[in-house]
Amino acid sequence: MLSPGDASLHRLRGQMREWGADFRDRALELDRDPRTIRRCLDLPAVRFLAAMGVPRRYRRPELIDGHAFDGATAVERVVVMEELARADVGMLVSAPGPLLAGVLVQVTGDERQREWFYERVLDRPLWTCFALTEPDHGSDAASLRTSLTRRPDGGAVLRGAKRYVGNAVRAQVAAVFGRTGASMLGIGAALVETSTPGFHAEVIDTIGLRGACLSAVRLDDVEVPAGMVLGQHLSPSRRGVWAFTRTFNLLRPGVAAIALGIARGAYEYLLASRRLWTRGEQHHLDRLRRDLDGTRALVLSAAEAVDAEPGEGHLASAAKLRAVRLAEHATDLACALLGPGARLDHPLLDKMVRDARGMEFVEGTSNMQRLTIFHSVLSGRLDRSLSIRRSRAAAPSRR
Amino acid sequence: MTAGPDCYRAARTGGLAPALESLTAALLPGALPYGPAGHAVTTATVAASATHAWFDGVRHDREPEGERTPAVAAVPGGPVLILRRAAPTAVGRPSAVPHHAWLSGLAWLRLGLSEALRLSCMDYLGGRRVGATATLLHQQLVKGTVAEAVAVHLEAHAVLRALDGEASGAAERVHRLITGADRELVRLLGASGYVTGGVGQVADASELLADAYCRQEPPC
Repeated sequence: MLSPGDASLHRLRGQMREWGADFRDRALELDRDPRTIRRCLDLPAVRFLAAMGVPRRYRRPELIDGHAFDGATAVERVVVMEELARADVGMLVSAPGPLLAGVLVQVTGDERQREWFYERVLDRPLWTCFALTEPDHGSDAASLRTSLTRRPDGGAVLRGAKRYVGNAVRAQVAAVFGRTGASMLGIGAALVETSTPGFHAEVIDTIGLRGACLSAVRLDDVEVPAGMVLGQHLSPSRRGVWAFTRTFNLLRPGVAAIALGIARGAYEYLLASRRLWTRGEQHHLDRLRRDLDGTRALVLSAAEAVDAEPGEGHLASAAKLRAVRLAEHATDLACALLGPGARLDHPLLDKMVRDARGMEFVEGTSNMQRLTIFHSVLSGRLDRSLSIRRSRAAAPSRR
Repeated sequence: MTAGPDCYRAARTGGLAPALESLTAALLPGALPYGPAGHAVTTATVAASATHAWFDGVRHDREPEGERTPAVAAVPGGPVLILRRAAPTAVGRPSAVPHHAWLSGLAWLRLGLSEALRLSCMDYLGGRRVGATATLLHQQLVKGTVAEAVAVHLEAHAVLRALDGEASGAAERVHRLITGADRELVRLLGASGYVTGGVGQVADASELLADAYCRQEPPC
């Protein structure tokens, strides 16, 4: 497993940076028309994202400067996502690929489900979606109302509604969460083809992150074939919240990396837009650069932590909390330093401002992250993990 | 190098004075460390045993006649002296310990103090009742403030563990973050955080460390 200090990760970062130029070129076009992504499927970064997360036992990963990256670890994903979001977050989130659903399949899928899913991903560009959030009660698993009713033949039926589901209107395969029973153990997820009768999705128009095509989903008795309910090979206590918590912990550093990428994009846009700065302005720029470096250290540390132990999510929550705030700060600072009318005169910067705001709610609002952190403090998990990390820090450094 | 993590541990469990002595013994044995403008925050033990002065990365002779002690902070863990001296008149020798190494060590130390402050806040607020059953600690706004401070602490850990070479800017930023977290945590203590000799004063002394030794970033 790669660690943040490995030289090969620098190569990955460099390659993503180079490929990201294609994203920047198409950012505004995609913002106007999210269908643009269908004309971009041959871009190297889109091709990479289309298979990112498929483990190497199912394919031969793309070689980057002689190294094989499959994007199956959080550390690799945060590098990819920061660099591509730096170029354009819209292109990143509109690309086909297994990302969120892929991590869920990785954590809760049995061997047959993984094979089915990864074959679909590798066969042709496959959009997937991850349908958890519901109208009125957000992504609170305890309040989930969509029903996932098991049938005697091993299949199930989905009934309910989802909201703010990225890419649902273009996805061919959806991972949908539903309730199988009244208790906290009665939460499950299933893989369904979106062409199944009863699956309806429509776009919700949003201020930013328009490439994501956030959608409202209606599930009118959607048939789930036998064998497509996830986690049936796991013990009941490991199918529901336990498995989903690990999935979200594994994903959250990537969301933080996207926010960090937006912040870095704004910083670099600012540097490219003006050459001369007053001393006071330079001070703000220096401070922002150090904030970017510091938050990157936190994001990498969070990714490393969930790769080592997916059950420990407080670092990931801290990373998301800090990175989202930094994205808003960096974009606001860029506007302030470019003067009145900056958003009107700089459409790319305007897009970054709008996209940054959207990161607040993706994968849990800042208040939810604060509560996660607080609970880890109260339970003693935080202090236990700090003492482990202190022992590692005292050991000879790998960096 | 374990000087930073060691003094972090000493600060978290023993307080400011033992941590300062641990850091000085590890990085600058025999020295009285001064910041860029000639301020030192140290202990009487360090001051009494120092054979030379370390002036922002340069080794100088001590000039006892020019040293003043304008303040003493009586904080848990032992008293801390605030010393002042004029800029050295003679040319010194570059020290093997540069400015940024000391600054990083101090950042570890302040991180340990800040985490101890967080624990004190939780103890205090966990014992304060609101209504019949709830405690102040379980109020949403309090939870949020604690979580914000913890997020800063985690970022500080990540940055300090990754620091290498000439990184005084990054270390100074960690000092700024810690000062901000401390101020938010002290606010949770209300008036009890304003009492001399308590944890609020430890946070204040911790800020004085940043004030004395940081060059670029303002203390908060």
